[in-house]
Amino acid sequence: MSVSTTGGDGRTERLLEVKDLTVGFPTRDGTVLGVDGLTLNVGSHERLGVVGESGSGKSVMGLAILGMVLPPGRIMGGSVRWKGEDVLDEAVANRVRGREIAMIFQDPMVSLNPLKTVGAQLRELLQRRVGLQGSAVRKRSLELLDMVGIANAPERMKAYAYELSGGMRQRVMIAAALACEPTLLIADEPTTGLDVTIQDQILTLLRNLSTELGVSVLMITHDLGVVAQFCDRVQVMYAGRIVERAPIAEMFADPQHPYSLGLLQSVPRVDRDDRELTGIPGEPLDRAKFPPGCAFDPRCAEAREGCQVAPPPLVKTADRRWVACYNRPGEGAT
Amino acid sequence: MLRWLARRIIAAALVVFVVTSLVFVVTHIFTDPATVSLPLEATEEHRANRRAVLGLDRPLSVQYWDFVSGLVVGDLGESFWQSQPASKLVFERLPATLKLVGGAIAVTVLLAAPMGMLAAWWERRFADHAVLGFSMVSISAPPFWIGYLLIIVFAVQLGWVPTFGSSGFVSLILPSFAIGLASAGRLAQMTRRGIVEELRKPYAVTALSRGFSRSYTIVHHTFRNVASGFVTMTGWELTRMFTGYTVVIEVVFAWPGVGRLAIHAIENRDLILVQAAVVVLATLVVVTNLLVDIARRLIDPRVELA
Repeated sequence: MSVSTTGGDGRTERLLEVKDLTVGFPTRDGTVLGVDGLTLNVGSHERLGVVGESGSGKSVMGLAILGMVLPPGRIMGGSVRWKGEDVLDEAVANRVRGREIAMIFQDPMVSLNPLKTVGAQLRELLQRRVGLQGSAVRKRSLELLDMVGIANAPERMKAYAYELSGGMRQRVMIAAALACEPTLLIADEPTTGLDVTIQDQILTLLRNLSTELGVSVLMITHDLGVVAQFCDRVQVMYAGRIVERAPIAEMFADPQHPYSLGLLQSVPRVDRDDRELTGIPGEPLDRAKFPPGCAFDPRCAEAREGCQVAPPPLVKTADRRWVACYNRPGEGAT
Repeated sequence: MLRWLARRIIAAALVVFVVTSLVFVVTHIFTDPATVSLPLEATEEHRANRRAVLGLDRPLSVQYWDFVSGLVVGDLGESFWQSQPASKLVFERLPATLKLVGGAIAVTVLLAAPMGMLAAWWERRFADHAVLGFSMVSISAPPFWIGYLLIIVFAVQLGWVPTFGSSGFVSLILPSFAIGLASAGRLAQMTRRGIVEELRKPYAVTALSRGFSRSYTIVHHTFRNVASGFVTMTGWELTRMFTGYTVVIEVVFAWPGVGRLAIHAIENRDLILVQAAVVVLATLVVVTNLLVDIARRLIDPRVELA
């Protein structure tokens, strides 16, 4: 891969480089690939979105970037480099996890330990991962809660997760994620399951914090609205593979991959109300029945002969634009 | 919390009352203590005599009132085998049984918690299989057989501990293991399964993603969340010990406890003494359940105060 794979414009420093990452889950019908040859890069001060439907491997990807896979899954190949270091090396991972790359999850309801108070969960991080002692711990905890907009922080420190609202819990999760002053925040569906107004508050909070603190964000979501509102650049994922990669404005103006097009046509747009909504035909892919060719082929309106042979490679079609489709010939081979 | 506690204690007292009443029904209505305590060849005259002596010829309601008012002041009737108050006989033996159950539950918890955590930590690895193997064997083997095995190996062949009796701490070791091993096996498997399940939950994944080690996450995050189930199961094991295992093991090890007393009472057809032993053991079971409820409430603030 050449330097042009970065979305950056030269001023940003490359932080995270994921190359050909493959995660497999053994099943009775053979190994199912949750993530299949994934390549992505995140630069400093960048907000990258990864969109895809349920089961496209987004969440598996998020954990795999930290070198974590839930058993019986296993990282089968590829590399994850953080500032040049191999995160798949356990020693590096132990240092990086939570400290340099922090993660927040979909369901703040269950992502907080139900039997520990908010204060105890922050304290544990600050003492064991940051190394704060004594009164500094409490001071920093209050500061963090204040930073994520939690009023009456001293009272909230004593609360258990079940005593907080969904939005409040996600704010606590964000406070915990920022406790170690990470450089990259992986947000896995951080607003799913929250009320629309709360979703908006959380996204605004995340955007402001990422700008203020200079934290890059990898936003994993199924919601194109979130991407539009939040990200600089987006990658579309289907069946564990990246099918398209583009700057945000260009993705919305001119989606290239048939799947991206389908995704955009299936969500309402406030700015263009003349269009009818259409769904993508067919069922989301059953990951156990992997077609040998392009995974989207069975549902694709533009499928033609040759699509079934091998998965199309991700090729560059224009400046900062990459597509994996045989119907979109690239500028040249990668 | 205090009102909840008061309600629980009243409920426990009610259970004790119901259970003891059932014991009365069994000993006074389904069977006749006088007939049981006399030889088979006794004449009807003998039996009538014995009934009069024991007050069994009075109306049942009067006898029941006698029984209940006796319970309140700790009078459980007089043993006709030993000609002593039954409660005195039972309470003399109670410390030995409590010591034995205490030793057994200590063995259970001290083995089960670390084994469960180790098995979960090394999920599907050698240690996990080893713990599973231990559990299968200890659960399948009857406690009295484990007891005899322990006696043969450690008391007879190696001579490290006495074969029977209750002479101090050393003699407590073998019977405690004989009772506790099966409980430890069950509890270890439950702990392991609970932790493995908890480790897949988002809060545990979150803890791991923050760079906490697997062992730290198991001990400080997941074990707390299985502790409630652990305490409940420990309570069940205690219950089983009071009502079953101690009786068998006290006989095997000639341990002078309530269980062995009950067996001797049965052999001597002393229904009043049996009744007293059952009432005391049943009360211990109820008290155990009450303590479990309190412990669960302390561990998990979400437990309903109902």
